[in-house]
Amino acid sequence: MTVLWAEKYRPSKVSEIADNKQAVDEFLEWIGGWLKGRPSKKAALLYGPAGVGKTSLVHAYSREHGWEVIEMNASDFRTRENVERIVGAASSQASITAAKGKIILIDEVDGIEARADAGAVQSLVKIVAESRVPIVMVANDPWDPKLAPLREVCQMIQFRRIPKPTVAGHIKKIAAMEKLKISEEKVKEIAESSGGDLRSAINDLQMYASAADTGLEAGERDRRNEVFNALATVFNAKSYSNAVSALNNLDLEPVEFFTWVLDNAPEQLSPTDLAAALENLAKADLFLQRVNSKQAWHLLRYAVPFMTAGVALAKKKTTPKFVKFSYPSRIRYLSQTRGEREMVESICSKLGRALHMSSRKARTEALPFIKVMLSSDGEELADFFELTDREVEFLRGGEAKKPRGRSRG
Amino acid sequence: MSSEDQHLPWVEKYRPRRLDDVVNQEEVVATLKNVVATKNVPHMLFAGPPGTGKTATAHAFAQELFGPRYLEDGLFVEINASDERGIETIRERVKTYARTVPFRGIGFRILLLDESDQLTDAAQHAFRRTMEQFSATCRFILAANYSNRIIEPIQSRCAVLRFKPLNMPMVEKMLRRISEAEKIVLDDSAVQAIYEFSLGDMRKAINILQSAASLSSKVDEKTVYKVMGLVSRGEVRRMLELALDGKFKEARDLLRELIYVKGHQAQDIISTMAREIPSLNVSEDDKIKLVDVLGETDYRISQGGTPEVQLQAFLAKLSLVQRAGD
Repeated sequence: MTVLWAEKYRPSKVSEIADNKQAVDEFLEWIGGWLKGRPSKKAALLYGPAGVGKTSLVHAYSREHGWEVIEMNASDFRTRENVERIVGAASSQASITAAKGKIILIDEVDGIEARADAGAVQSLVKIVAESRVPIVMVANDPWDPKLAPLREVCQMIQFRRIPKPTVAGHIKKIAAMEKLKISEEKVKEIAESSGGDLRSAINDLQMYASAADTGLEAGERDRRNEVFNALATVFNAKSYSNAVSALNNLDLEPVEFFTWVLDNAPEQLSPTDLAAALENLAKADLFLQRVNSKQAWHLLRYAVPFMTAGVALAKKKTTPKFVKFSYPSRIRYLSQTRGEREMVESICSKLGRALHMSSRKARTEALPFIKVMLSSDGEELADFFELTDREVEFLRGGEAKKPRGRSRG
Repeated sequence: MSSEDQHLPWVEKYRPRRLDDVVNQEEVVATLKNVVATKNVPHMLFAGPPGTGKTATAHAFAQELFGPRYLEDGLFVEINASDERGIETIRERVKTYARTVPFRGIGFRILLLDESDQLTDAAQHAFRRTMEQFSATCRFILAANYSNRIIEPIQSRCAVLRFKPLNMPMVEKMLRRISEAEKIVLDDSAVQAIYEFSLGDMRKAINILQSAASLSSKVDEKTVYKVMGLVSRGEVRRMLELALDGKFKEARDLLRELIYVKGHQAQDIISTMAREIPSLNVSEDDKIKLVDVLGETDYRISQGGTPEVQLQAFLAKLSLVQRAGD
């Protein structure tokens, strides 16, 4: 039986908590309030993504100070009765000034189900009010409306994803302690795919180590798909699972691979199939954007099938001859038009500053009109916005009409 | 008005300077005047569509609260959430700004965070704490188009003031006032056309008027259409025609040019597309289908979809549609 490295290397001191300095400080300040007998709030709610050290912080603190942690899982309580019996007993018995401190740790409070755990939230609120020991609750997503009463009584402490370089640093340190040989590349890969979740990164490292033990690593490089192979899979797969496997071992973020698929689709598919494929890619895009903006990593599991199988299965007509895959035209387009775009950007930031808006907004709300205004004279307007002669000329259509690509000097 | 003002863009020149100049937002103005009178300033969220006067009202409010030197004396500052790189930069700026008690005034400063709905949820949570940390020396006004994109914990800490879109008589009154001052002839058909393009967005209405006036000192419906044609219509139409011809890749390239180089925002491209669909040379049944697909595209973009990707999907579908009479 092997020990889980994620457990073995759990921080034993507060100072070993990776990153999240602000959260740690807020926690220490809050618990400091308890030590002075006057906590600002009796409970703290540590929230943030998985694997960033929320629970570890509580354990590390207790260990350093010789406190006892009474740990519970919120989804363990099903009824008010249970909640009161367990937590209630713990909170009324001891006090913080006793020789040995106690801390109550309630994990996964966002796992409380509205119906199944009837009254659990209310009971917790009541217990917090009566408690004589610090109560720490942990949640990934504390913004569920049903948790509103808890948020009221808790000091809210936010944890963030661990930056990739920090994850990489930890991975290297653990690898060294385990005497594991690992390439910089692999460390980077693990850190990249962790999404800021240190625990999952440590788990990945352990997986990698056990694979290395059995000699799997040697073959791995051969199996690693080049992006063209992955594209070939996407555009030729006949089954759902086969198509989805395109991303296995691919050294590209899904969102990057997405662009490759999107831009190669018009060359690979008939118009009818293209329309169907782009519809699925559009759906994949929605999920990818949500992954990005809400940090909702679990949504990748929907984005990936849409961008792989959604394309493979849309292809009803096989193309008569092999068409080579190519580098995404969008990336090419963006690099060719960089000069123009930088010019637009500089103009828009001038417009935005003068008109009290972001340059982004100035693009839509001001730029098109300023162009018209400048088309006939408008010198004074140009002065007002402090536009350069080149910028004015560009806005009047001089530059934009020239053929794209490398400038001719 | 000094001669310097001659060169101002009209949206600046005719921006409301006092709370009494703010058009159509009676409730907001009444509330703010009350705040000025009591000097009891809460954090506030100004929510409402573009061009309804949120930023201008914030300035007018600060001026009435602190006096004419509100900007010079550093009692009011404006940060644009969409321009600042990330929440850390914003917090740094807030920190340096809000750290000290102002040497004059009423004990605190006001910070306007414009376009605050551009912040991600995580950034908003971080900002919420910043608000709390500095509320002794700084009050915040957040301006946003969509209040539902502001997280609940911030909303609950703010007095929410809602700005309404402007109605036709309000817009007309303003356009007439400007026309008189700028000595241009504005006929009724032009007012109607400007309102149709701008709806309740006063900024857009004034921009259309100034653009039209730069083409001709006599502004009628035709001048307005010409402006809007120059603004986006022509190219969008060409993109749709390319797709209808089955030239998907060319249509896509034009789409990229519109978005990335010309800088048109998806919303404007889509609203132009919606106006063009009825006049496309396709069957009546196809028109309604296209409206359906475009509506879905529009919705998805409003839900955070990438405009280029979503619009490409639309173009691919459009390229399957037969021209009527083919």
